[in-house]
Amino acid sequence: MTALLRRYQFIVPYLLLTPGLIWLAIFYIYPSIQMFISSFWSGSLEHGFTFSLANVHNYTDSLSRYQEQIVRSVFFAAAATVATFLISFPLAYTIAFRAGQYKNLLLFLVIAPFFTSFLLRVISWRTILGDDGLLLGPLKSAGLVSDDVRILATPVAVISGIAYNFLPFMTLPIYVSLEKIDKRLLEAGQDLYATPWSAFRKITLPLALPGIFAGTLLTFIPAMGDYVNAELLGQTPATKMIGNVVQSRFLVNNDYPTAAALSFILMAGILVAVAVYARLLGTEELMSSAS
Amino acid sequence: MSEQHPSLFDRALTRRRMLQGTALAGVAAFLAACGTAAQSVAPSVAPSEAPSGAPSSGPSEALSPSPAASATPNPSPAAELNFANWPLYIDQDSSNPPKSPTLEGFTKKYGTKVNYRETINANEDFFGTIRPALEAGQDTGWDLVVLTDWMAAKIIGLGWTETIDTANTPAFAANESDNLRNQPWDPDNNKRAPWQSGMTGLGFDSKVVGSQTSMAALWTADPRWKGKVWLLNEMRDTIGLTLLKLGKDPATATNADCDAAIAEIKKALDGGIVRSFLGNDYKEGLIKGDLVLGTAWSGDIIQAQLEKATLKFVIPSDGGMIWTDNMLIPKGAAHKYTAELMIDYVYDPTIAAQIAAYVQYVSPVKGSKEAIAKNADKSVAALAQNPLMFPDAATLAKTHIFKALSADEDKYFNDQFSTLQGN
Repeated sequence: MTALLRRYQFIVPYLLLTPGLIWLAIFYIYPSIQMFISSFWSGSLEHGFTFSLANVHNYTDSLSRYQEQIVRSVFFAAAATVATFLISFPLAYTIAFRAGQYKNLLLFLVIAPFFTSFLLRVISWRTILGDDGLLLGPLKSAGLVSDDVRILATPVAVISGIAYNFLPFMTLPIYVSLEKIDKRLLEAGQDLYATPWSAFRKITLPLALPGIFAGTLLTFIPAMGDYVNAELLGQTPATKMIGNVVQSRFLVNNDYPTAAALSFILMAGILVAVAVYARLLGTEELMSSAS
Repeated sequence: MSEQHPSLFDRALTRRRMLQGTALAGVAAFLAACGTAAQSVAPSVAPSEAPSGAPSSGPSEALSPSPAASATPNPSPAAELNFANWPLYIDQDSSNPPKSPTLEGFTKKYGTKVNYRETINANEDFFGTIRPALEAGQDTGWDLVVLTDWMAAKIIGLGWTETIDTANTPAFAANESDNLRNQPWDPDNNKRAPWQSGMTGLGFDSKVVGSQTSMAALWTADPRWKGKVWLLNEMRDTIGLTLLKLGKDPATATNADCDAAIAEIKKALDGGIVRSFLGNDYKEGLIKGDLVLGTAWSGDIIQAQLEKATLKFVIPSDGGMIWTDNMLIPKGAAHKYTAELMIDYVYDPTIAAQIAAYVQYVSPVKGSKEAIAKNADKSVAALAQNPLMFPDAATLAKTHIFKALSADEDKYFNDQFSTLQGN
């Protein structure tokens, strides 16, 4: 066997890829094809669905009907990504450079919430953000905010929920890229009279870019399609995201064509956004600094 | 919170349209599609359960409870029964949850292991998971499922249920409430057996909003409840109650009536009075105080009163809605005879009383009221006097049913209602 493998070495990478490819084929490619076909359907569950290329108007129809939710999703996801970055970067920086012996403990604490269910975490935010909850309760009794102020069922609640839930996806990649930075580069910079700020700007930040790039993608992409936070913390028509529309079209209204078309619009939109983003940040540079 | 009130927390999270369910539904639908071929190969216990002769062969035979009247061998209870229901919709042993005395009793009586799963969170979502198998003519994996009237009617209309052999269900035949019998969508009364009924009306915290009796309150920008009002995300409940507020009968609703109701709800939404559309989780908000007034299910409020005594449920003066969840045997079920035994078992008034005392909805079983009244525990016996569990004629007169919508109407109503909710 080993002799055989040695002889046909070129086959090894394919063998290693096989489990992943099979997984991808069954759980991604096959359903995607199915969904792509159903995006060209017309009809209803009761009368049956029929396929026709003429139904390409499913795409334009759903785009115009749900543009409000699409724009809102982009805005919520972008706001949450920025918030996550603003929290994560100092956190990752502290863990990488200043945590000393507590490094592993802090890293563990970043991931610790993930040992409980995602749903439970979102639902506990409902208690924290409640009208008389941990946050607003004391502020209201101190008279700092008026009694009819609420956070739940507003965009703030949804954005905070998303930002919280994706925090580790931003923190860990940034931490990894910061951790790898050769400290001697910073010392050299300082020796050449760089101020701490310009050393940070010219050395630390560029070297952290691959982590920032990965972190923003890992946050922004799933956040765009997220519907749990909007469903549990938003719960109002003014906070519905495109994921909620897909969910309701698919499961409540049995409107498979619209749900499928919206999914592909979302997928295409994200691909374009990522391509533009990668272009702006310069992927080649990223790849070389990452390796 | 979760330690103190596990049941409340679970239920608030799950019962109707919740995410776990919806996310799982997608996966389950896919698995169901994959799994149907395999299931059809193994009709494990089915042969022993051959139906006991054609009921049409004669009235005397059809009336005879003895399966021996037919030529086929006596059916025997299967080793297992796969039962899908809504969360917290059956009695639990308070000292040993989630064990259910009813299910334990069934196992003791027939030796059947009941695989009871609280897997139904929303009618549409659950239907989505069993539809592929039904469409392909395969066993869904369930022997008994519990779905609301309109969904039951839809599935029966599609021919996707087994006919209950009433010879095997004498208690069901004798004890089903008269007002539930012979629905237009089940004229022979043998495609479904009611599990529980319930009413939809106004739920509120009387400590905050005082006493409310009219739907008009939901359209009043009173500072005590403005922005703390919810509406149920079940289309038939919310549209139904709004139609009643407008003086229209939900039993004869047209598309134009639907538009009128949607426009009416929009006013309350745009006025900032209504905050959210919610499923079962309105209970959590009501107990925490984020919500104080809205449309609610009777049994939920009776259960929630244990947590917050100031909660009240009323049938609005405009009228309330009444609905029933029904047991169905999906077409191709592997253990049909055992499912019939289960239906018959829960129609025993003593068992029905045991379930009703826990779930506190309206039992469809005659004699359950008397059985509850005889309970040794005074607080349980008092439930027999609760008009929301055992509604009197005056209460029932105020309740309405929703029209059996045609497929096109159903699509129209749901579409409008979805758009109203922002999706």
